Amino acid sequence: MSGGSTNVARSRLQRWREAARLIRNLVRIHPRPFVIAVAGAAVFATCTVASSVVLRWVIDHVIDPRLRRGHVDTTTVFAGIGLVIGVGVVRAGGVVVRRTWAGIARWRIAEKLSGEVVDRLVEQPITWHQRRPSGDLAARAGVDVDAAVEVLSPLPFASSVVLMVIVSSIWMLVIDVPLGLFAVAVFPVLISINLTYQHRVDRHYTEAQAHLGDLSAAVHESFEGVQVVKAFGAEQRETERLATIAARLRQSRTSAVLLKGTFDAVLDVVPALVNVSLVLFGAFRIRAGAISIGDLSSMIYMFTLLVFPLRIIGYALSSLPHALAGWDRIREVLDEPIEADPEASLQRSTGDVGLMFEDVSYRFEPDRPVLDDIDLTVALGSTVALVGTTGSGKTTLLRLASGLLGSDTGRVSRVDGEHALVLQEAFLLGDTLRENIAFGGQYSDDDIWRALECAEGRDFVEELPRGLDTEVGERGVSLSGGQRQRVALARALVRRPALLLLDDTTSALDPATEARVVSNLRSELDHATVLMVASRPSTIALADRVVFLHDARVVATGTHNELLLSNDTYRTIMEAFEVDRSALEPGVGG
Amino acid sequence: MSNENRASIVLDEEMGVGRLGAVRILSRGVEEAPILRQGFGITLLLALLGAAGRVVIPVTVQQAIDHGFRESGVKVGFIVALCSISAGVVLIGATAQRAAVRRLGRRSEGALYELRVRVIAHIHRLSLADHNEERRGALVARVTSDVETLAEFFSWGGLAWLLDGALMLIVAGVMLSYDWLLALIAFAVALPLIWVLRAVQAHLGPAYDKARTKNSEMYGSVTEIVTGAETLRAYRAGRVMAGRTKRVAKDRSDAFVRAGILGAFLFPSGEVFSALTVSAVVGVGVARGPGGGLTAGALVGFVFLTYRFLEPIAEFTEVLDQTQTAVAGLRRLLGILDIPAGPPPPTAPQELPAGPLSIDVADVTFQYRTRGELDDDEPVLIGVNAHIPAGQQVALVGSTGSGKTTLGRLLARFADPGGGQIRLGGVPLTLVSNDELRRRLVVVPQEPFLFDDTIAANLGFALPGTSLADLERAVSKLDLDDWLSALPEGLQTSVGERGSQLSAGERQLVALLRASVADPDVLILDEATSSVDALTEVRMSRALERLAQGRTTIAIAHRLSTAMRADRVLVLEHGRLIEDGPHEQLVTNGGHYADLFAAWVSSTSTADNG
Repeated sequence: MSGGSTNVARSRLQRWREAARLIRNLVRIHPRPFVIAVAGAAVFATCTVASSVVLRWVIDHVIDPRLRRGHVDTTTVFAGIGLVIGVGVVRAGGVVVRRTWAGIARWRIAEKLSGEVVDRLVEQPITWHQRRPSGDLAARAGVDVDAAVEVLSPLPFASSVVLMVIVSSIWMLVIDVPLGLFAVAVFPVLISINLTYQHRVDRHYTEAQAHLGDLSAAVHESFEGVQVVKAFGAEQRETERLATIAARLRQSRTSAVLLKGTFDAVLDVVPALVNVSLVLFGAFRIRAGAISIGDLSSMIYMFTLLVFPLRIIGYALSSLPHALAGWDRIREVLDEPIEADPEASLQRSTGDVGLMFEDVSYRFEPDRPVLDDIDLTVALGSTVALVGTTGSGKTTLLRLASGLLGSDTGRVSRVDGEHALVLQEAFLLGDTLRENIAFGGQYSDDDIWRALECAEGRDFVEELPRGLDTEVGERGVSLSGGQRQRVALARALVRRPALLLLDDTTSALDPATEARVVSNLRSELDHATVLMVASRPSTIALADRVVFLHDARVVATGTHNELLLSNDTYRTIMEAFEVDRSALEPGVGG
Repeated sequence: MSNENRASIVLDEEMGVGRLGAVRILSRGVEEAPILRQGFGITLLLALLGAAGRVVIPVTVQQAIDHGFRESGVKVGFIVALCSISAGVVLIGATAQRAAVRRLGRRSEGALYELRVRVIAHIHRLSLADHNEERRGALVARVTSDVETLAEFFSWGGLAWLLDGALMLIVAGVMLSYDWLLALIAFAVALPLIWVLRAVQAHLGPAYDKARTKNSEMYGSVTEIVTGAETLRAYRAGRVMAGRTKRVAKDRSDAFVRAGILGAFLFPSGEVFSALTVSAVVGVGVARGPGGGLTAGALVGFVFLTYRFLEPIAEFTEVLDQTQTAVAGLRRLLGILDIPAGPPPPTAPQELPAGPLSIDVADVTFQYRTRGELDDDEPVLIGVNAHIPAGQQVALVGSTGSGKTTLGRLLARFADPGGGQIRLGGVPLTLVSNDELRRRLVVVPQEPFLFDDTIAANLGFALPGTSLADLERAVSKLDLDDWLSALPEGLQTSVGERGSQLSAGERQLVALLRASVADPDVLILDEATSSVDALTEVRMSRALERLAQGRTTIAIAHRLSTAMRADRVLVLEHGRLIEDGPHEQLVTNGGHYADLFAAWVSSTSTADNG
């Protein structure tokens, strides 16, 4: 039993250490603004205590003499007023300094940290990315950084509250030891009520946050699938399902607000009762001649001023677990070593070879090869179609050729010069079409238009009111799948690559447009080596040669017609496009 | 917190509520959630009582100084009595305040829940025309972030209005009762604070809006770095794009720092005004001296009360801002509730005849309702007529924009035609109850949507309570056993978000299975445009053929092979039905369809077949 409690104590100590280390690490990034903020907070704390000292002085030297005894020096009155205004202004100045520089510290540190994470994200190869869900990685440069630095914003204020508690305790003890002891003893009580409240209410807030996340995801899915919902008349069912999640959210929120009602009342009552007691005990001390009316009023005033700031301590501590979790997740990305760039293992091909695979194997899992013993040569300047069913390893082969993946065994060599890979699922930035095609490179508008023309995308871009300046994505126009693919293709073509790798890049185009794109490629990039994944027979027929992949191996190479004659599986797949047609209408198929 | 992700696209600009004032919006909000009004008078009374408890200390100090601590000595009896009464009032006040907070909290959470569910139900009932992809984010935001702005308002701003409002009222009352002249002076000196705060606020709101915009831009930019990782690497654009993201991150920091500086002046201006007001009160009070009836206790009490009075003002300006945000959120919510729901349910529904159903399209015209956009005057469908006997297999053919998808939607009653009538089994569609319609007629959309769950759960969606054995039977019926058994966990395989774990073709297969589970009499099939791999294609057409057997089937065909298999082809062009007949007949007649067919044959032929 005692062992358990030491364990808890140790883990709490551990948590404090971790928190201290987190704060040190964050502050070290930009120490200056943080130090200035803390200094501002110290001025604020000192002035808060000073204002109660001033009040005592004004009561004892201005108000009491004038209103009870009838006379006071004008100079004394002005001195009192000057002190009140002076302390008030300096105190306000402290707040301005604290808030301004606390903000600077927080946002500059966040900026630096997310920049570091982003640098890592672009440096790691795609194998590293593939092991992690993308939403999770994006969070590390955004939400996690923000959660980690969140700990900094209440920190200067919280440290000034600690200072305030210490200074005011001393001040109250100086005024009167018995009364002071009584008041000081209440501080720990107030702090522990605050901490208890924060701890208990956080549980509900965390719960509510999780329910809200569930609700958002469920609502999004339900609205996205609205056509299915309507098609099966499930509107009522769906509303009820979402309502149960909303009810859970309501439950957590209600629990939190009920708790808040109680604790707010307690946190009002305790200091108020302390103040009432101070009046009561103060009366005896005044009678004993130990203190003045000003002394007592100043103590009560002091206490009133401290009640609100004390709450910040609970709040500051409540952000710690979040911040620590965020920091750990950032460190995971920053501390992992940069993995080797697979592109470095690529060889330069010689002679009339555009791309060559020698004994290349690749596997995701030990006993399931994605590519097994691939030997393949693409002649310089030729166009080769890569054919195979889903899962035969076509995409992996292209990734190996582009240097995105490194082979487990064997050797990949390719022609020197620019190379470009276009994926089936076109990735577009939320930016202009021009920026999406240039993609970090420098190209003239003429080059870009020419690339678009070759990709059969010129017409639709010209029809857009803002042409190349059209923004795509959430804040701009939404392009169709085929249009996106053509923009992605233009991105590759504008680079005039020596090696062009296309992963079923034209799948969303109609057959006629697709055929035009392929013949454009042949005439426009006549020196380029092209390896393209294709599925339509009409497109495949345009290639010089066909490489047929099946079950992770190259099972046949040759021209389309040769393969149709020599390979049964290949013929079955090719004819699948026409099977139903010829079955229905014997006259047309052949 | 949720303010940060308030990427709100305003939907309701042209809606009626867009022009209503804040007060009208609020009263309509209360109308929609009447629970808010329940016992509000009592809550208000409790809040006032609570506020009275919070001025106990200044009053106690004043009483003690004036009547307890006399020059002659301390009157212990009076002090003890005073403190006992004060302690009692403090306790009563706190109890009342607690009750007020809890009452308001319970009711506001109840109201939010009701509002949320009503909006969800309404959005589900909106016509599909109101559900396009561009609007989806906005619709989700109504149910999440807009309701959240209201929730934030209730948990802070609403409470502040209630508690601080009551407190200021009571404090002002006590000050006036002590010395009306001093009280007026205090109010007069404090008054300019409101202008100062409003001025800062006027810049603060836009500054934070800008910061939030920059914030979502940065999050978006980071997401691009991650989702586009492969492309960035393939183009060696990583460094350039990381630089781009860092610039956005810097813009964000700048915007937040700037807003933060403005905010830094907001709270302390209250402090400065407190000091000024206290000085004025003390100065005037001392100048007038005891002759004016002012006591030392009252003046000290005044000093305390001044702080109490000004404390909430700084908070109030933020509350005002938050209230505006909440009203804007409420306005958007009401805007959604004002969009008319989809086709209205029949008042006196008629039953459909049993068995396969015929379809009659009689002089149907349709035009999309546009919202302030200019592309009007062009009906999507013009005078379309067709009688489709029960059990017939029909293919709708036509180029993009010909109106074939719209006709499919009208047949499924996702919208009602502007003119003419559609009858199902002889009964006008408008007289068929939604439940019966959805049981008898099922639509398989072009991009079938799958829920992030198992295949079994997705199939079961069509008919809740279907047993696993029945699902397996459906799979066999469509001859898809071999496909299913190749999946790692058969029916229990998870499909991932939007079915992302399956290929596009496989998602189609699941959608066909789902329709088969529903076992409808009429099937409306919107064919996919994108090509799928050849073997899946074969599987799909076989499954489709089996699914269509014995049902009236309308296929919105993008592949002419589908049209060839149909009993009858309807060719639409520019909203008109231009050809109607079996495939062979249309080909021999040599019209529009014959041209389409010739083009298709040449594009899909393998080289040696030609």
